[in-house]
This record gives sequence, C-alpha cells and structure tokens, in this order.
Amino acid sequence: MNAPERKVVTLAPAGLPHGVGARLPFVDGIEKVTGTARYTADLPAGGALFGKILRSPYAHADLLEVDVSAALALPGVRAVITGDECDMPYGVIPIAQNEFPLARGRVRYIGDPVAAVAAIDEATADAALALIRLRVRELPAYFSAAAARQPDAVLLHDNKPGNIERAVHNEFGDTAAGFAAADLVREDNYECAEVHHAMMEPNAALATYDAERGHLTLWSVTQVPYYVHLTLARCLKMEAAHIRVIKPFIGGGFGHRTESLNFEVICAMLARAARGTVRLLQTREETFLSHRGRPESHIRMKLGMTADGRLTACEAEVVQRGGAYGGYGLVTILYSGALLNGLYDIPAVKYDGYRVYANTPACGAMRGHGTVNIRFAFESQLDVMAAELGLDPIEVRRRNLLKAPTDTINGLKVMSYGLPECLDWVEAASAWQARKGKLGKGRGLGMACSHFVSGSAKPVHWSGEPHAVIILKLDFDASVTILTGASDIGQGSSTIITQVVAEVLGIDYSRIRIIANDSAITPKDNGSYSSRVTFMVGNAAANAAENLKRILVAAAAKRLEVDEAEVVWLGEAACSVADPQRQIPFAEVTEEALVATGTLTIKGSFTCPAEFQGGKQRGGAVGSTMGFSYAAQAVEVSVDLDLGKVTVEKVWAAIDCGFAINPMSVEGQVQGAVWMGMGQAISEETVYENGHHMAANMLDYRVPTIVESPDIEVHIVESIDPNGPFGAKEASEGPLSGFMSALAAAVEDATGQRFRALPITAVRVFDALNQKTPAARPAASAEGAA
Amino acid sequence: MAALSDFRLLRPASAAEAVRLRGEYPASRFIAGGTDLLPNMRRGLVTADAVIDLGRIAELSELRVVDDRLHIGAGVTLATLAADPVARARLPALAQAAAAVAGPTHRAAATLGGNLCLDTRCMYYNQSEPWRDAIDNCMKIAGDTCRVATKSPRCWAAFSGDVAPALLVLGAEVQILGPQGMRNLPLSEFYRDDGMAWLSLAPGELLLSVRVPLADGWLSAYEKLQIRGAIDFPLTGVAVALRRTGDLIGELRIACTGVSSRPELIGGLDALAGKTLDDAALSGIDRQIRRGTQPMETTVISVAYRRRATPVLAKRLAKRLWAASA
Repeated sequence: MNAPERKVVTLAPAGLPHGVGARLPFVDGIEKVTGTARYTADLPAGGALFGKILRSPYAHADLLEVDVSAALALPGVRAVITGDECDMPYGVIPIAQNEFPLARGRVRYIGDPVAAVAAIDEATADAALALIRLRVRELPAYFSAAAARQPDAVLLHDNKPGNIERAVHNEFGDTAAGFAAADLVREDNYECAEVHHAMMEPNAALATYDAERGHLTLWSVTQVPYYVHLTLARCLKMEAAHIRVIKPFIGGGFGHRTESLNFEVICAMLARAARGTVRLLQTREETFLSHRGRPESHIRMKLGMTADGRLTACEAEVVQRGGAYGGYGLVTILYSGALLNGLYDIPAVKYDGYRVYANTPACGAMRGHGTVNIRFAFESQLDVMAAELGLDPIEVRRRNLLKAPTDTINGLKVMSYGLPECLDWVEAASAWQARKGKLGKGRGLGMACSHFVSGSAKPVHWSGEPHAVIILKLDFDASVTILTGASDIGQGSSTIITQVVAEVLGIDYSRIRIIANDSAITPKDNGSYSSRVTFMVGNAAANAAENLKRILVAAAAKRLEVDEAEVVWLGEAACSVADPQRQIPFAEVTEEALVATGTLTIKGSFTCPAEFQGGKQRGGAVGSTMGFSYAAQAVEVSVDLDLGKVTVEKVWAAIDCGFAINPMSVEGQVQGAVWMGMGQAISEETVYENGHHMAANMLDYRVPTIVESPDIEVHIVESIDPNGPFGAKEASEGPLSGFMSALAAAVEDATGQRFRALPITAVRVFDALNQKTPAARPAASAEGAA
Repeated sequence: MAALSDFRLLRPASAAEAVRLRGEYPASRFIAGGTDLLPNMRRGLVTADAVIDLGRIAELSELRVVDDRLHIGAGVTLATLAADPVARARLPALAQAAAAVAGPTHRAAATLGGNLCLDTRCMYYNQSEPWRDAIDNCMKIAGDTCRVATKSPRCWAAFSGDVAPALLVLGAEVQILGPQGMRNLPLSEFYRDDGMAWLSLAPGELLLSVRVPLADGWLSAYEKLQIRGAIDFPLTGVAVALRRTGDLIGELRIACTGVSSRPELIGGLDALAGKTLDDAALSGIDRQIRRGTQPMETTVISVAYRRRATPVLAKRLAKRLWAASA
C-alpha cells in the first residue's frame, strides 16, 4: 500500500526500526497465526462443569413461574439458577440499568435468559433445561419502533412512557434562519436495517468460584474487563476485591463486548451456585441473540444549501428500534445527533432523536457507534442536492470544510483536520473528474466523507481517575514488562502500546513484553471502545516510558560519573558526550537503576482536560473527544442490470489518523472498516419474524466473503494532532460510515436509481430496475427552493 | 450448534458391506464428506445411533470414461469433479455446478453423492432445537404444520443442491445398490416433489455412481443466484444444455434448483426444437420455467425475486450458449 515513506525517528543504534512509524506485525500475531493462542473456549479447566442457558421462547410475557424442581433432581446437575439468583439490574449506563442476568417477572424478547444450569456434561445440561417448566402470561409484543410507540402499547419498562427510552431534542444555531437563507431545501427519509457485529469468536466465559475464600475468577471475551468486574460485584453482591477478571485472546469485538453481557454474569453465578468451575459456551445463535449491534433506524434528513453549495442548516430526526433493554441506547441516540457536527462547517443543526424499546434483542455499540446510519442519510442527501444544483460531490464537500483548530456549535473541539488532503487524494486516485458519470450503464462511482472520535473525553463511569494508566516494570533481567488493562481484541492495541514504549526508551523491541490483561496484575483501564486506546493509552504509555527513561538516564549518569545533562541515551546503551567510545550497555544501566531500590515499577497516565469534555447541554459529553479521525472514500461498483446484483469493484480510502504509529496496522483497520461498511451496504441485516430471529447463523446473516472483498487502496494522511501520542488519532471506526452513501452514489451512477434504504441488495435493485417499487422505499419529499 | 450426540462409527470396505450394515442398524446414516449431515446432526435434525462412513470404499471414488459415458463414483469430491478435465471440457455445466457449491473447504470434503442426496432446506427447519421448539416445529421434524404454507398437506422445503440440475440437463443416470441388488434409474426419477421424501431411495439403498453421456454437439452451463460469491446455497440455480442444428435449436434442456422440493427438469421445451432462439423462444422459456417451478418462502430472501429472477438467469444462459454455438 501507499503509507507515506518516512525516516523512522528512533535513537536505537542498530537493528530494525521498532519504534513508532514502523510497519510491524502484531506482537501477538505469531500465536494467532500458528494456532497456539488460547481463546476463552480453549482454556484448560480440569473438571469444569458445563453451563447452559434456558432462553425465553416468548417475545413478551409476564413470567409467572419458573419451576426448576425436576431439573435440580436430575443426577449430574450441580446448579440451577433463575432470576431469583440476582435482584440487581445492570447495564453499562449507570442511570439506565434495567436488565437482569436472568429475567425477573417479565421476558422481553425471544432469547431472553430465564434460567441456567451447570451439569457434569452437555447432555445432562440439555436434559436439565428440558425439565424446566415456565408458566407465563403472554403480552402484546412489538417488533418495530412504530408499533412500540402506538398510544395503547403495553410498556416494556414501566418508567418509560410511550416505550421511549430516551428522546433527545436540541438545536444549535438558528436552523429556521438557515433554511430561509438557502437556495435549495430538501427533506428525505432514509432507513437502515439492523446489523450485527458477527465477530469471528462466539461468546464464551469460564468462571471459578473459590468457595472457601468466597473469591471469584472470570475469564471472558470482554472488550472492557473493568465493566465486567463492576457488574459482577454488583450482580453477585460481592466485594470487588474478591473478584478477578482475566481477558485471554479475543477473536474480535466491534462493540458487541463493550457492555457486560448476561452470559458473563450467568457463568459467574453458576460457578458460585455450583461452588466450582463452570464453562459457558454460547452458540452462534446465542451470540446473535446477545445482539448489541446497530439499530434499525428511520431517519428524516433535511438540509439547506446555497446555490454554490454552502450548507446553511441541517435538521434531522432519528428513530432507533433499540430492542428490549437500555444497554448503551441513550449514548447511541446522543451520538447520532452530536456527530452531525465535527465533519463539516454547518451553521445550524437541529436534532430530534428517539430511542424506542421493542421486543427484539437489545442494540448497543457497534463500530462507528451511533454515527453510521445518520452519516449514510447526511452524505446521501448532500449528493442528491449537489446533483440538483449541478455541483460536483467532491466540490460541494470542499465548500463546507472546517478549519482547525475550532470549536463546533455543540461544543466539540476539532484540533487537527486532514479531510482536505483526504479529498484531494481520493479525487486523484479514483480519477474522479475523468470518470464520475462517464463509466457507462452498469458501472458507477461514488464518494463520501466520515469521521469518528479518538475516545470519549468523558468516560461513562466518571470517577475522577486519569483516563488511562500504564505500568512499566523493569527488573534485574533488564527486561521491560508493560502492564496494561487495555484489551487487545484483534485491533492491535498491544502492538501500538509496545511500539510507543520502544520508541521512547529506544531499546530493542525483544526486551519488551506486554501483559494484557488481568485485574490482579494490570492497572485498571476504561477498555477498548470508542477508539480510545491508541490516543489515551498510547499517551499514558509514552508518559510511563518517559518517566522510566528519566530514572535510567540518572542511573547512567551515576555509573558514567557525569552529570545527567551529559548523558547520551542510545537506548541499548548510554555514554557521555565527552567520551562516546565508552558505552555502558542497557543491562548495566538497569543494574545501577535498581541499586538500593530493587525492581522498578513506573507509572504513566493520561487525562483529558475538562475543556475537551463536551458541551454544557444534557448529554453533551457524548461525542466529545480530543481528536477526530477523518476519512474520505470513493467506491466503484458494477451492477448486473438483469439480476440486480451490486459488485464492489474497487475502493479508495484516505484516512487522517493524525500519525500512523504502525502504518500496516492502520491500513488493516481502514480496510476492515471499509469492508464492514460494505457488509451493511450490500447484504447484512437481521431478520425477525414475530420476534424469531430468522438469520441467527452465518449462512442467513450474510457477512461478505473474500469473493466480495474488493481491492481497497488505503492512503494515510498525517495531520499530526497536537494532543495525540506522536500526533496519532484513531483509524478504525471513522472510515466505516462513509461507505454506504458512497456505494449508494455509485449505484445511482450505474443505474440512475437512488437507494435510500439499506442494505442495497440484489432484490431491491432488481425491483427498482423492474419498477415494481421505487428505489427510494421511504417516501421522499422535496420542499423545493426556499 | 450443539455437540454431536453419541453414535457408533462403522467403516465398511465395500459398498455391499455398507448396505448390509445399513440393514443391520435401522437408525443409521451413511456419511461421506459430512458437510450436510454433521451440521444437521448437531442441530438435532438428524439422529443416528450408527454412522456408516463410506470413505474407505474404493469403488465409490472411481472417476473414468466408460463407453462414451463419464462414470462418477458417488464418493468423488466436488473439488475433484470441478477440476476434472473431461467434465470441464465436455460437461461444463457439471464442472461449473460442482465448483459453485459452498466454499473451497467444503468442496474438498463434500462428495457428488452427498450433494445429490442433500437434505431439503427451509428457514423453519434449518434451525436449532430451541429455535424450532419456540415455533412448535414443522411437519418435516416433530411437528404437523408446514410453516411455509400452514394449510398445506405437504412440506415445501427446497432442494438446494447445485449439481443435480446440471446432471439432469446432461441426461445422467444413477446406479443404486440395495438389499435386493443393483438398479439403474434416470436421475429425473431419483427425485420426488416432496420436501420430506425428496429421494426415491428405498430404506437401505445406497447411491453408488452417476453416469453421464458424453454426447457430441452439446453445450452446457450452470449458474446460481446467491447473495455472496461463496458459501451460500442457491437462491435459484439454473442449468442449461443446448444442441444446435445449423441455425436452429436441435434440443434445449433447462433444469432449476432451489425453487422446488426437487431439482426440476423444465418440461414443454420440446416445442423449441427446429426454431431459432428469438424473442418468442425466450418468452416460451420464461413461461415454462414459471410453470415448472414454485419457489416458496423457504429462505429469508424474497420469494418474488427468486421467482422472477430464475427465468432471467435461464434466458441469459441460453443466449450465451446460443451465441457460443454459432
């Protein structure tokens, strides 16, 4: 690929560059490629009981009785638990906790856990589940936001009238004046099907309860072990100090595992009830039922534009079918509104968002959290209006660029902004001007822009602690061990942290180990979500390494018998300015550093200053960040005009990630983001029939295969963010959300049909081309010139 | 998916021994590649006390030309068939269909016999036990209603093998070994239009081989509609074989899969013989396919699309072969 070639700034005197900017394979890549990596399901656990969950076959019902007597009496059954086991509701948002690990009094979706067993083997566990009897009173169930919002609808949660989990209303700037000043005002409806993360590793947990001490250890697939730790303490009413949470290798997360999930708590409760060890493996179907993906969304998007393409105002309404429980919902609906800002310069933005409860699995965080569907609507609307005004899609975006540093109208700070360079590259690489609209029938080109936060500047659990802490341990063997609580979920965070430490210390990469993560060993971390790790933990790692380096330089000075200012730090060695020939090796510096103190544990931390933590409005912290990534991409498609099938032929994606600590990893993340966006754009959707998940498997939930995978050319723009570690920002979520509208534009270029509903499947294209139904399924309306 | 239940694994060395074992263990199943059987067993769709592994039976993996026919043992893998030079050169529909099944790792294990005997599929059937229990099952397993057509007395599960339609248009014959001995059958008679009993195999019978005529003058092709380029079963699959006589159609055969409970050899195409492949002929193809297939809501993908796209795909293939034969 074409990451910028750069001279790597490293003080290491010899060997391959291993500091920042180096194209390094992941530090844990060897284990993954050779198959020696142990994931939760692989962990050896002698005598572990087999855990299994009984799930509700009812979409909505009062749970009158769960009779487990026969199951308990079955030989080989060691524990049977129900909703009686835990009366503490949990949920990732402290003010919206309304989910129990096992249902109490009410089941709210097909798949809601009702009871669980631990038995000596799977067959016994299955037999025990079959003996559990449920007595219920069925209630009306709602499978769409519209149905759940009907005036006479039964409430899923008594404290939420109208089944509205959260309504958001805000206006920044004067939208009425903005629309009045526009030459063209257009309003259209968009809709996006619900999509799921479909990470490769199904959910799994392993729990050991030490009955003598009353201590619990849990291994799980979580992205945020800290949340799991808090949730276990809450739901099991245990001292947090008596709990240990370990994250083994993880096969992807994409947001599914940001929240603590019911199976993790159930596994721990089973282990305690059975006074032993329980392994709880989830099938792919159960993993789908734990959902937490991107909600089905209905979006009304109204933009005002001057004849020369300047945006004057934006008014958006978003309705999300959030599913049965709160989860991350209120953050998702806030994100959708907040990140209307921060990409372009829009003088006025009005947003109305509704998160609605329904009898489907709860939605949650998914790559590009809350920003993806509304970006599809916004960018599509921008294209439609540009076309109406005879403006080029790239040009119209250029006319609305921000200038960093700046504050947005809703209180977000934009400190670095490489979007103009991203646009320039995409335009040139795709030969846009020569090819857009000129590829002939059946072939087309489209483009779009997008952005995302580099970590939330105000974490969900605001405790006053730093945003990130790293510990470095230097010992007699002259090795440096990095202790981090940041979960490497496949995104490469352990590699990035290691490169940062290697860069600052200048020592050989092979001296450095990273332990991630075990609550008994590693410092607390807020976790791997909202693309926070590179920015926040990266900064903490640089800080820790600088703190350690100061001690090492002092030790070298002492050993060299010179002033610290005269020490030349070479990483693997040190010498004095006066005598470069007399070098003392790193091991000797270490020996000196440990005199009279022994093993060194050095901490580094990072805190986002208060001014970055968002606007004063209610929910204003959501969307706040110290650095936005920016992306532009062009998508080329071919369309089978007989059968409707859309094939993505080529993607050009440019990312402003501030600085690429590992360009190879950045390219991989961008390709992954583009690819995931492609799945949502062309084929992925969950399907419920009367609440039954019809596609809870990898055959019917159609994640693209390698056959669909286009050539994705990635270009890295380095805007050098003033606050990111070495200037770095996130690279993994921002490039996703531009894909859908770029594809929709390309399909329009190829077919003349504008699609406003996702996914743009062969069925939809076929119907549109055969004019059974118009392409834009949601009703469209143009107000015309104002 | 759940773990496999316990079963006895039997590994006969000959087809005769396999058939004998099948008689000896009434609740047994044959296994070759296992790509269909094992997921179905893990979902509790198939139960078996004994599984009879056909992998050691040498005669089942024979692939050779005998008297102007290609003899293909039922145990020949789809990967082998897709790469076979004779199939590729003279029976392209067959090689293309074999290559169109699932993904490369499946094809390395899956066999011709397995694909021909593939269990019929339906979104109400190919689900886990708890999932099926939540809808009180369907008539294909432990229930009494067809969930696709609730008033229907029959099961509408769709046959979804890719290879059968190719072999149908190529005029293949199957060889079957049973307790009463050997019998041969045109492939078209091997299937029945019933989602629960889609094969005319008697209990204890084993599909031994397929024989395909290597007649001169035929062109053939297979293509399937699928959402993804790999893994997916056909939403619809179409095989076409054409023999051209001068400027006219000598004979045109079309077979479809995924749109009925059996692979359908489309009838009523004889009338096209002696005509040219013009718009009227294409309309005739369209009409006969609509008449001869009945896709039902067996998958999450729109039945209307499958119904309307099947003739489009068939006409495209016919036109392609017509042009190639000119």
